[in-house]
Parts: sequence; structure tokens; C-alpha cells
Amino acid sequence: MGFDLSQVIRGRVWKFGDSIETDAINPYYRYPTMDELKQHTMEAYRPEFPQQVKPGDVMVAGRNFGCGSSRPGLVLREVGVAAIVAESVARLFLRNSISRAIPIFVAPGVTAIVQDGETLEVDYPKGVVRNPASGQSVALRKYPPMIEKIFECGGLPEFARERYLKEAASASRPKA
Amino acid sequence: MAEKLLTRNNLSGEPARAGDFVEARIDGAMCHYHAADPLHEMAVQSGFKDGLPRVWDPDRVFVLVDHHQPALSQKLADENALIRREVERLGIRCFHDAEPGICHQMMADYGLMRPGELVVGNDSHTISYGALNAGGTGIARADMFYVLLYGELWFQVPPSIKVVLDGRQPDYPIAKDIILHLAGQYGDDFAGSQSIEYSGSLVPQLSIDSRMCLSAHGVEVGAKFAMFPADDKTRAFLRGRTDKPYEPLAPDPGAEYEKEIRLNVDEMPFVVAKPHQFGNVVPVDEARGTRINQAQIGSCANGRFEDIEIAARMLEGRKVARGVRFIISPASQQVYLQCLKAGLIEKLVEAGAQVVTPGCGVCQPRVGFLSDGEVCITATTRNFKGRKGSLHAEIYLAGPLTVAAAAVAGEIVNPREVFRGL
Repeated sequence: MGFDLSQVIRGRVWKFGDSIETDAINPYYRYPTMDELKQHTMEAYRPEFPQQVKPGDVMVAGRNFGCGSSRPGLVLREVGVAAIVAESVARLFLRNSISRAIPIFVAPGVTAIVQDGETLEVDYPKGVVRNPASGQSVALRKYPPMIEKIFECGGLPEFARERYLKEAASASRPKA
Repeated sequence: MAEKLLTRNNLSGEPARAGDFVEARIDGAMCHYHAADPLHEMAVQSGFKDGLPRVWDPDRVFVLVDHHQPALSQKLADENALIRREVERLGIRCFHDAEPGICHQMMADYGLMRPGELVVGNDSHTISYGALNAGGTGIARADMFYVLLYGELWFQVPPSIKVVLDGRQPDYPIAKDIILHLAGQYGDDFAGSQSIEYSGSLVPQLSIDSRMCLSAHGVEVGAKFAMFPADDKTRAFLRGRTDKPYEPLAPDPGAEYEKEIRLNVDEMPFVVAKPHQFGNVVPVDEARGTRINQAQIGSCANGRFEDIEIAARMLEGRKVARGVRFIISPASQQVYLQCLKAGLIEKLVEAGAQVVTPGCGVCQPRVGFLSDGEVCITATTRNFKGRKGSLHAEIYLAGPLTVAAAAVAGEIVNPREVFRGL
């Protein structure tokens, strides 16, 4: 499933603090199945989150979001989070999200323009995140074309598959 | 060093500068228990219905089943069996599935990475290979999928940050105190997406064990790489473990750094990280008197010989406080054996400690869960809320000496109060 970076995402905000770690996002050693994880993700910080999060909601966080282990945040997509926007993202969580085409954006200053429960608009093509109620906005960091292509393919395994098929086709083509 | 490493391995042949996005050649790939279900699912989802069709170089892929060994449940036993079948199908030769231990320590024990190499692993603490001057870094599971197929991966070239450590190495390990102190001082992402280079007069005095602790914890402060220079100790460690040639990395004279941080360890107090973040650091005296239920020494940060040796040395002739569970987990079978031969395990068990199978369990956790209201002081990697089960338990991080002191006292205490003459 590819992610279309040209769309504008608008959603209700769940706001979190700094250094939210993968143990809270993905406590898989206590809840090993995806169904269980969906019931417990982020409860360490917001016990009501798993029950009340709705498809289309947006997560906003402070610096160093997703620090800790190499666990991915697939569960956040599973519960319907439409985008994650943070002041900064821990590198492994960023890699994990890009490589599974999970919409994640770095927008320094975002925590100052939006409060919990408000609406946030993520406009990747224009390179801004905006609070439509207040009109305040901050810039988000654009990705280089290589990474945009990974999003477009639907993730790195899908990107790998595309390359693999292309190489297989050119290898079997008769030489002129 | 990061720019030099990624220039050396840049597929385009261009010089790599901080901030550039490059596609790099991978020298080694370490894959642990994720080698089973996650990779297979990704393969099927992306259209390879029979699984990953190949690995790019079976001699550069290392599969070490660390987190889930011995299997603690039927599900894990089934996963391990799948890994075994996949390894055979793909022709991967380096496979450790009948030997417990932490993958990163085993990579070092068996000389599977060398100075100057770019080595990736689908575990965050792969960064610990920087202790041996290797560019080790953790990657995502889907990144590993790509690496296994092509032996290549994209990176953004990190700026480098210089951490200058000066002072004298005492006759007990202080690596954990150093990194906790830095995280407390400069924040738990002070090296976010950057490459740490350790230097200073303390570095030649640091053991490989201490360097591995400092490099492993690079990830706890956000780093992409955390590298030491290769010196006599590096070469001595690798002798007999690898016979392959290697080309160490060294910073150019006058190399530019994003920032420079200095620490004189002679002026550094013993510290602990309070619940629930790595950077929540205070001098141990400020946590003094906190009663504990559990104490632990282990993990890829502190499960090495010197960590266990200091505990055994301090516990000789003493007893673990009544009611305290003191759990020791050597990082690997090799470390375990070294401790046994040195008589450390005997001293620890006599003092009332329990020794568990080498592996990630004590930190991940698979063993030693905590109940509501319990307090644990641990020389392992992380103290996040719920890390050891209950969301209502408290985890303090500390060096092995401070953990051993707490195990004896039954509460958090300055090691100097328990062990006179330090």
C-alpha cells in the first residue's frame, strides 16, 4: 500500500511530549499480537488513547519521537493514525516509518502551534503544517526524491521488489 | 570518520559530506530473531510469494538467534524453527542458534565485524560495534530486507560530534556513569542522528568492555554511529578472532565537528538515571535510600566480564540484602565461560545472586518482570515505563558497581558507603 505524499492530511490532534519511546508505542513483549497491541499502544502516556483514537487522527509529539529500540510503529497505522508530526524523530523510528511508508513528518515548532484535540493540517506538497483554527503554520522537512519514491512504492520491500523485477526483465532481454 | 566511512562505501564513488543522502555498500549484516516472521511477511506482502529470493552474499550475513533462546514459549520455538529453515534455504553459513547470548557480543566474540567496516543490524544496539572502530548502526526490519537482497542501503551522512574524555580510569568500570552523566548534562538526544567520535586521554585506558558499553549507549543519546579509534587494545582483541585484513578509520587532522563535548571523569560523581528516561540523571546521593526489590547486571551495555567481575569482587564476603533478587546475565557464552574460569560465578552465587542464561532477556525483558510498586536498579540499557512489565514499577539505571552496592544494602546508596577504600 503506497502512501500518496501529494494528499493533504487533516485530523484531530493527539499531543505527546518529548522522547516518547518505542516501548510505549509497541510493547510487544507484553502484548505479542497486533490485536493486543492495538489495545495497549501509547497507554503508558495516555491510558485513554487505545480506546479513543479514531481513524484519521494525527499524532503530534516533541523532540526525539520514537527513541529506544528498533521496533516499528505499524500499530499506529493499524489504529488509524493518519500522520505523525514531531519536532524531531529518532533516526531508527524514522527509518522504520519510511521503510513501511508510514506518513511521518519532522516539523520543528509544531508543538507551539497546536494543542491537544485541535485540528492540524499536513500539507506535504506545500511543505507546511498548519493549524486551520489559528492560521499558524510551520515548515515541515521535505524528503529527497529517493525517499519520496519509497513512499510512493509503499515501502522499501515494495521498492526492492520493483528493482528486482526490473533487473530480472533486463537480464532476460536479448542483447542487441 | 563517518564521512570517510560513507565515502569509502558510497556506491556513486563521490565523496560523502554531512547531510548528503547516499546509497552505500554494506560490509556485514547482522540479523537476529527478526529473521523469521517479519522478513517473511514483508517478502510475501511485497510480491515475493516464496519468501526472500536470495541473500546478496551468504558470507556477509550473520544470523544470531539471541532474544529468543532458549525458546520460552511454543510460539518462539516455532519462530526459531522457521529461522533455521530460512537460513538453510538461503545458504547463510554463519548461524548461531544453539548458543545463547546477545548477538552484539557474539559478533565481537567471533570477530564477525572489523575496524573500518559498515555493518548494519536490525537491532538498535548494533551501534556498539563502534567500540572496535566499525561503523555499526541499527536499521529497520524493512531496511534489512533490502540489505539482504542487494547488500546496499540509503543513509543520510551524519555530522560528527567529538566527545573528549579525560581523566584517570579507576580500578572499577565507569563507562555507564560516563554516558549517563553526558545524557543528564546534554539531553537524551544530544547526538541525535549524528556520529559520536570518542577521544581524549581516558580513551587508551578504557577496556574494550567499557568501549562497548559507551558505543552501545550511543543509541540512547540518538546517535547513528559511536566510534572509537582503533588502537593496540583493538588489535589485541581482534587477534585470534579474525584473520581477515581490515582498514581502520581515523579522523583527519583538523576534521570539522558539529560540536565538541568534554568530560573529566575525575570530577564525575556516581550517577543513576531515575524512572522513566535515560536522560533523567542525578548523582547517586540524590536517590539515596530508595528501597529496591531487584538489582540486575547484564545486557549488551553491561553484561561483560568487567561488569560481572566488579560485582563478584565487591560481593566477596558479603551477602545480597534479604528479599532482593540480584540477577546476573552474562552477555554471551564466551563471557560466561570467562567468568566461570575466573571464579566469579561462584562468588556471586555464594553471596546470594542468581545467574541466568546469557541473552537479552534480563533487559528486553523475558526474565525478571516487575510487579506493581516494585523498584529495580539495573545495569542494562533502558528504564522506560513498563520496560520490565508493570507500568507502575520503577526502574533506575546505574553502573555495575552502584548496582552491586544497592544489592548489598537493599537500597540505592553511594558505592563508597558500602565498599570502603574505593
